[in-house]
Order: sequence, then C-alpha cells, then structure tokens
Amino acid sequence: MDLGEDVSSMFGKRSKTNSNSTVNRSRSKGMEEAPTSFNQKKCIAWFRQYSTPNNADTIGPEGVEAFCRDLNVEPENIALLVLSWKMGAKQMGFFTLQEWLLGLTDLQCDSLAKLQGKLNYLHSLLLDSSNFKSIYRYAFDFSRDKDQRSLDVETAKAMLGLLLGRQWSLLNSFFQFLDQSRYRVLNKDQWCNVLEFSRAVDVDLKNYDVDGAWPVMLDEFVEWLKVTRGESNIQ
Amino acid sequence: MMKGGLGGGSKKEGKMRIRAFPMTMDERYVENIWSLLKSAIQEIQKKNNSGLSFEELYRNAYTMVLHKHGERLYNGLREVVTHHLESKVRQDVLASLNNNFLQTLNQAWNDHQTSMVMIRDILMYMDRVYVQQNNVDNVYNLGLIIFRDQVVRYGGIRDHLRHILLEMVVRERKGEVADKLSVRAACQMLMVLGIDSRAVYEEDFERPFLSQSAEFYRSESQRFLGENSASVYIKKVEARINEESERAKHYLDESTEQRIVAVVEEELIQKHMKTIVEMENSGVVHMLKCQKTDDLHCMYKLLGRVSDGLRTMASCVSAHLREEGKALVNVDESGANALNFVQSLLDLKDRYDTFLVKSFVNDPIFKKMISSDFEYFLNLNLKSPEYLSLFIDDKLKKGVKGMTEQDIELVLDKTMVLFRFLQEKDIFERYYKQHLAKRLLLNKSVSDDSEKNMISKLKTECGCQFTSKLEGMFKDMSISNMLMEDFKNHIQTSGTSLCGVDLSVRVLTTGFWPTQSPATCTLPLAPRNAFEVFRRFYLAKHSGRQLTLQPGLGSADLSAIFYGPRREESELKEKSDGPSSSTSSTSANGPRKHIISVSTYQMCILMLFNTRDRLTYDDIMNETDIPKKDLDRALQSLAMGKPTQRVLVKSPKGKDILPSSIFAVNDSFTSKLHRVKIQTVAAKGESEPERKETRSKVDEDRKHEIEAAIVRIMKARKTMQHNVLVSEVTEQLKSRFLPSPVIIKKRIEGLIEREYLARTPEDRKVYTYVA
Repeated sequence: MDLGEDVSSMFGKRSKTNSNSTVNRSRSKGMEEAPTSFNQKKCIAWFRQYSTPNNADTIGPEGVEAFCRDLNVEPENIALLVLSWKMGAKQMGFFTLQEWLLGLTDLQCDSLAKLQGKLNYLHSLLLDSSNFKSIYRYAFDFSRDKDQRSLDVETAKAMLGLLLGRQWSLLNSFFQFLDQSRYRVLNKDQWCNVLEFSRAVDVDLKNYDVDGAWPVMLDEFVEWLKVTRGESNIQ
Repeated sequence: MMKGGLGGGSKKEGKMRIRAFPMTMDERYVENIWSLLKSAIQEIQKKNNSGLSFEELYRNAYTMVLHKHGERLYNGLREVVTHHLESKVRQDVLASLNNNFLQTLNQAWNDHQTSMVMIRDILMYMDRVYVQQNNVDNVYNLGLIIFRDQVVRYGGIRDHLRHILLEMVVRERKGEVADKLSVRAACQMLMVLGIDSRAVYEEDFERPFLSQSAEFYRSESQRFLGENSASVYIKKVEARINEESERAKHYLDESTEQRIVAVVEEELIQKHMKTIVEMENSGVVHMLKCQKTDDLHCMYKLLGRVSDGLRTMASCVSAHLREEGKALVNVDESGANALNFVQSLLDLKDRYDTFLVKSFVNDPIFKKMISSDFEYFLNLNLKSPEYLSLFIDDKLKKGVKGMTEQDIELVLDKTMVLFRFLQEKDIFERYYKQHLAKRLLLNKSVSDDSEKNMISKLKTECGCQFTSKLEGMFKDMSISNMLMEDFKNHIQTSGTSLCGVDLSVRVLTTGFWPTQSPATCTLPLAPRNAFEVFRRFYLAKHSGRQLTLQPGLGSADLSAIFYGPRREESELKEKSDGPSSSTSSTSANGPRKHIISVSTYQMCILMLFNTRDRLTYDDIMNETDIPKKDLDRALQSLAMGKPTQRVLVKSPKGKDILPSSIFAVNDSFTSKLHRVKIQTVAAKGESEPERKETRSKVDEDRKHEIEAAIVRIMKARKTMQHNVLVSEVTEQLKSRFLPSPVIIKKRIEGLIEREYLARTPEDRKVYTYVA
C-alpha cells in the first residue's frame, strides 16, 4: 500500500523539490534553511528513519529518543510537547505517520534542519494565552495512560513543572501539598482547574473565592497553604 | 330715628345711656366709647360684672370696629389685660409663694378664664371681623398669652410652680399625701396655655418631671436590685408602673402617661434586664428549675414592655435548655439506655411546652427557640436516630406495661415531634426497618393496626418514599400467611411427608426487608428436607424466583426429654454427703418432657446432642457452620443464662467461651413451665462494629442519593451555577439528612469525571448537563 498517496490526498499538495544538502545549523534565532518547498515524500522518508522495525507507520519510544538526539533537543523540552500538539499525537513516546505528516506539513518541515529552524517558532506559540491553554489541556490526555481516565500524580508533576514551572510561583508549594496529601491521581477537571487557578488566584491567596466552585483538591491546597504559612487555625 | 344730637347730652344720674348712632365718629367719641369699654373690662376683671349690660357693651365694641377703630380697640384690650395681670394678679400670686401658692394660682387662673370669656363675648364682633382680617390672636387666646407671659412664666412664679409640682410628686412617691387636685388643675392650666400645642405644659412641667423621675427611678432600681430577688423586683416594678400610670391619668395630663411609663421602663427594666434575667438563685434559670411558671409569666409580661426584653429572656431560657438537653444527650456509651434517653427527652419537652403555654403565652419567639434548641442537642448524639427507633419499637411490642392504647398513641405522637428534629432521618429509617422486621418476624407486634398507625404518622412527616418499603413488609407477611394455607392443603392432598416437622415459612421480598449479611448454617436433616418440600412447592408456583433461607431470623420449637434428676435435688445432693441415688427421690420422678422454643441457630446446636453426649465449641462450629458472633450468642443463652434456662452445661465453668469449652445436655434441667422459651441475650442497640457498618452503608447510600439529586436537577435545568446547584440539592435532601457543601462538591466532581456534567467553557462556575 502506498500510505503516502492516501495521506497526500488528504493534504492536497504534492510538490517536487530538490532537496538541499542538509546543513547542520546552530539554533540561533530566526535563521532558517535556504528555502526549499515542502516535499511530502521526503517527509515520509524522514519518518521511516525512525519508525519501528515491525511497524513502518509508527515511531516508538526509541525512535523518538533518536529523533530528539538528532534534533539536538532533550525529550523533556517543551518544544517537543508543542510539536506533539501540532501533530495531535495521542500517546507520549509514539508518533504515527498520520500525526507526523499532519504536524510537519503544517510547519512546512521535511528535514531536521528545517525543523530546527522552527524550534523558536514552536516556543513562541506558548506565549499566546489561548494556544497555551490548548497545549496545556492537550498535555493531560497526551501523557496519561490510555487505559486510565486520570493522570498519575508523578507524571502530572513532571508535566506541570514543564508547563507552569516558570509562570506559577506556587508550583513548588503545590507539589509539596500533593506529596503530603492522599492524592495519587489527578483527573481532567482538576488538571484544567490548576491552570485557571494559577492564572486567577494571587500568591497571597487573598482573592481566592471560597464559593468559586474550585475542585475540592484546590480548596484543600489553599487551606494547607494557609496553615503552612501560619495564617489559619483551621485544620 | 334717633332724637337728640351730638355732643355731650345730659346724662341721667347713675345710669349709662347709649347714645344714638352718630353719623360720624370723631376722636372724642371714639375715646368715650373706649373708656366705656375699658371700665367695663376692668369691672369684669374685678368680678363686678353684675351691673353691666351685655348688649350695650357689645354694641359699643361693634361700633368701634365698624368704624374702623378695631386696632385701637385691640391694642386697648391688650393694655388693660396686661396691666391687670401685671399689677394685680401677679403680685397676688407672688405674695402667696410660700402660702397656698397653688391654690392662689389656680384661683387667679379660674378668675382670668371667667373674665376672658365675658370679655370675649362683648368683643365678639372684633373677633370675627378685625381679628380675622388682620390675622392676629383672638381675644381669648390673647388673654391666654398674656396670662402665660405675665403670670405663669414670670421668673419667680415659673420656677416656683415647677418646684411645687415636682415636690408634690416626690411626696406622693414616698407615700405621703399631696394636694392632687391642685396639681391636676395646674397641669390642665399649662395644657390650655399652650393654645394649640402642649408646649407650655411640656417645657414648664413635663420635661423637668420626666428627668426628675428618671433620676428617681435610677436610684429606685438600685434599691430594688438590692433585694436580690428577681420576682420581688418584678412585682415592685409592676407596682410602680401602675402607680405612675394612675397618677398620670388622673392628676397630671393623660398624655403624660405614655411618657412616664416609658421612663420607668427604661430605668427599671431596660437598663437592668440582663441582671434580672441572670440573677443567681432567683432569675430565669432558678425559675425554670423550680417550675415557677407564674413568676416566669410575670417576667415575660414585664420584659415584653421593652424592645429586646423578650429576646434577652429567650436567650437565657435557651442557654439553660441547651445545658439541660446536652446533659441528657451526652450519656456515655456504657450507661446509655435508649428508652431512658428518649423518655427523658420527652419529659424535658413536656416541661418546656408547659412553660411555653403557661408562662410565655405561646409566643412565637419562644416557640421557635425551643424547637431550635431541641434540634441542636438532639443531633449532638449520633445515636439519637437509633434510640428513637428503639423507643418506638418498645412501645409497639407486646407486653407494654401500664399503658392504655390512648397512652401509647399519645407517646408516639410526642415521639414524632422529636423525630421532626432529627437531621439524619435516613439513619432512623434504616433502624426502623430493622426493628420492624424483627417485630414482624418474631411476632412481637402488639397489633397490625398500631403498626400501620405509626407508619401513617411517618408517611405524613416524610412522604411515601419513606414508607413504601415498610408497607411492602406488611404485604409480604399477609402473602406468606396465604401461602402457608396453600402449602398445608398441598401437603394433605399430595400426601407428602415433612419428616415429622411442622413447618411454617415466611417469604420476604428482598428489596423491602433490611439486608442481612448472607449467613448459612448446616441445618439438621429433618428440617432441611421439610424445607426442600416447600422450596419445590414455591418454585413451582413462581418459577424464575430464587429462595434463600435466612437462618438468622427463624425460630423452632423442640420437644425435649430430660432424664436426669431434678435440679434442686442434684444441688441438695451435692451439699449433703449422704448416699445418693440418681434416680430415687421422694417426688414423682420420671423423665421430664418440655417444649423448648429456640432460634434456628440454637436448634442446629441442640440437635447435635441427639447423637453425641459432649461437644467442644470447635466441634459445634464445624458441624453447624454458624458465624462466630451468632454462635457465641446462641451458646450463651443456652448454657449461661438463668438456671431455668440452662439447657446445656459448659465446662469448665466461667464467663468465657473458649474453643476448647465442652458442652453437654443439662440432664438436671428443670422448669415449672412445660414450654420454655430461651431468651436470646438481648442486643441493646447495636454493638460498636455493627454501628460502624451501618454508618458506612448509610454514607454509601447518601452518596448515591446526592448524585441522583444532582443529576435530576441538572437534567431539568440544563445549566446551573455552582452555588445555586448546591443549595437546590441541600433543599431537596433536607428531609432525609443534611449534606455538607463540601460533600456535594465532591459528588459534582465525580459526576464531571464520569461525564454526566461539564463546566461551561465561558464560566467554570457554571455546569451543564451532558446528555
């Protein structure tokens, strides 16, 4: 079967390119490879460099690792999360051919060099608040175990660190709270509300609305935090 | 027409003659008229008016006004009156300052009024025309004003008047005699002098009176308080209020009554109500403790006079009631007895209901407060629902001593009042079901009617949902009776043998009856076979159903023969050391036959001894498979109860049942009764582990009920804000229990997770129903 044909019919374009020699470029700002137009076949071939031996249409964890190495990006780098989002990748550590093509066509990258050039752009997507929200929500489904509805707390902490590490000063407190609590998982509602919380509630908790329909977990977090800070006598 | 001309005509001696109407009026003429009038007025003032002719004077005045000399007349009048009051009247009054002052003043006032009336009558035309046109005070009022300013409010007189009046009041209050009539007259005078207001009275008398009274009552209050008795204080206050009221009504001006009473209320009640209410050994608490309904009523009436008085009293009563209630309710575990618990609360309610009716006249403030207090402390004890159910259970069982049907009905109605205060009605429901089941199955109900009566009371309170299962239980009972009829016929006609077992079965529909922990035990052969016959019979009628035997609920009558010596003899024999024979004795002796009524478990145990002499605890457990808890209870009743109940003997003797304990038939078992009922060691309410289990079942049920309520509401309304949803859910469930907002929130989150609900993207505080 020629998966490539089917996929390309979805995306319409079919372009013939002269592939340039790939030049390893440093990730300096704003530099892109000498423009060549996107070549789907090349993209697919690129995919195949990483795909698993027994299933040519999937890249597995090892392939992803290799891909990251080649890209010169750590797997924990948030750019990878953004890229996965662009692809609509269902499961962390795996890319399907469909997802690959979806994402990279949108980015117009059919080679490592081109993709490296787009890394800054991927970072910049996080700056837009509604994009960020979308990526944040996506991260939940992306990182959870597919046969579970909820995300285990350790993975949740890792993802939260990645996404909110630089923006939310209460993140560490929240981690401490989780550690001493009996929560072993976070569900989607709790996950989404953490973002809302980080955006809406001040560090001093003064504008925390008790009637704000926050999940009980966050009510408990606030209480715990107040006690820890010595502000509350209620246990 | 008139004869005579102008000018001074001859005057007839001694008589005044009115001249004919002059055509014109010259100054002299006017002057004459005026002086005529003036002397007339002066005569009137001197009370020498008998010789005056009203008509003549009236006409003179009329003439003056007609010819536009009204002003002259008016001013003249003012002058004359002022002069008289100033130089004569005032002096007289001043002279009497220390000698009959009030009488003199009153006399002067009366005289003034009288003469002013006459003067006004003469000058009526001026009143009607000149006064009206020029908008000045009319004659009478003018007189009043002058009297007021020149006499009554003249420095020395004014002060002295006030002084005298206040002194009269002081004397009266001390109980001395005072000239009340003079006081009254003086007050009336002041009122009149205000013309169209009470300002003069107010300023010259009432205000100082009120302030002096306030001071007086301030010190009175200290005196009264010094008596240290609330009821005495109240009586004294009432007396004073009446006194002041009377005085104002009869001797001061009536309008003062309200104000002086207000002063008394302020000084004697408002300022000290807390002190009185809380007075040790005589205040509200003391009155409540000693059932002093009348004293409480007096206090109620008194405090009702001031704002917040009743609330002060009510909160004191409430605090005490809560104390009493808490003490009753905080019985510790070991001492707790359901019947006493409930009875003591009923007694407490009776007491306070009496207070409510007799002392507080059914005042809604007090009524509400009593209810909320009861609700408060009843729910402090988490076992209240269970105890209430046990109490009702006791009243519905056979053998209630000393109460007629009406008595019981009354008590149950009162119990329903307590029921209304329960916050955890769903727990009550659970226990009620259990207790009802036991009553029905063990045939302990006094009557079906009284049971149904009680259920309809519950239905009125809580609706059908509460009682539909209970009614189902009754239905099962009557269906079972019919079933047994059919079964008996079936046996006869088909000639099946029941192995000598007289079987009676009751079939219970699972959903209606309280869930039993699945229990099995190994039945002896005969009953087992008999039951199989029934099972086949039933399933033939109702295929598709499943029958499960519930050994925990059944009972059996066993025919037993005891071969040993009677108990008393064997005991005697142990004491004496003489030769003994186990079979000979003076009294008639043979094997003793009895019918023993036991529970199913006990039947299983006893029948083992048909084939064995002795068995260890372990043996019994293995052979019967009875759960440990039930086995212990059964053995205790059989082997360690009263001597007339000890069908088995245990060795070694002692309180504990050990796995190695050995049981055997008590050959010396003796009883006066042919039919012996073995009492099972009664369960006083549940044991602690059972209670925990019940509570966790209740919590589970509540989770479902909350979720059901949430879904129901959201399905109907589609979207709803968080707070509104929480309060709607609470409202819907409050007749069963009180869910906390946190628990409701958790259930909402659970439903979000299971995708029954979702937060709206625009506002995370608003939920939508996910179809």
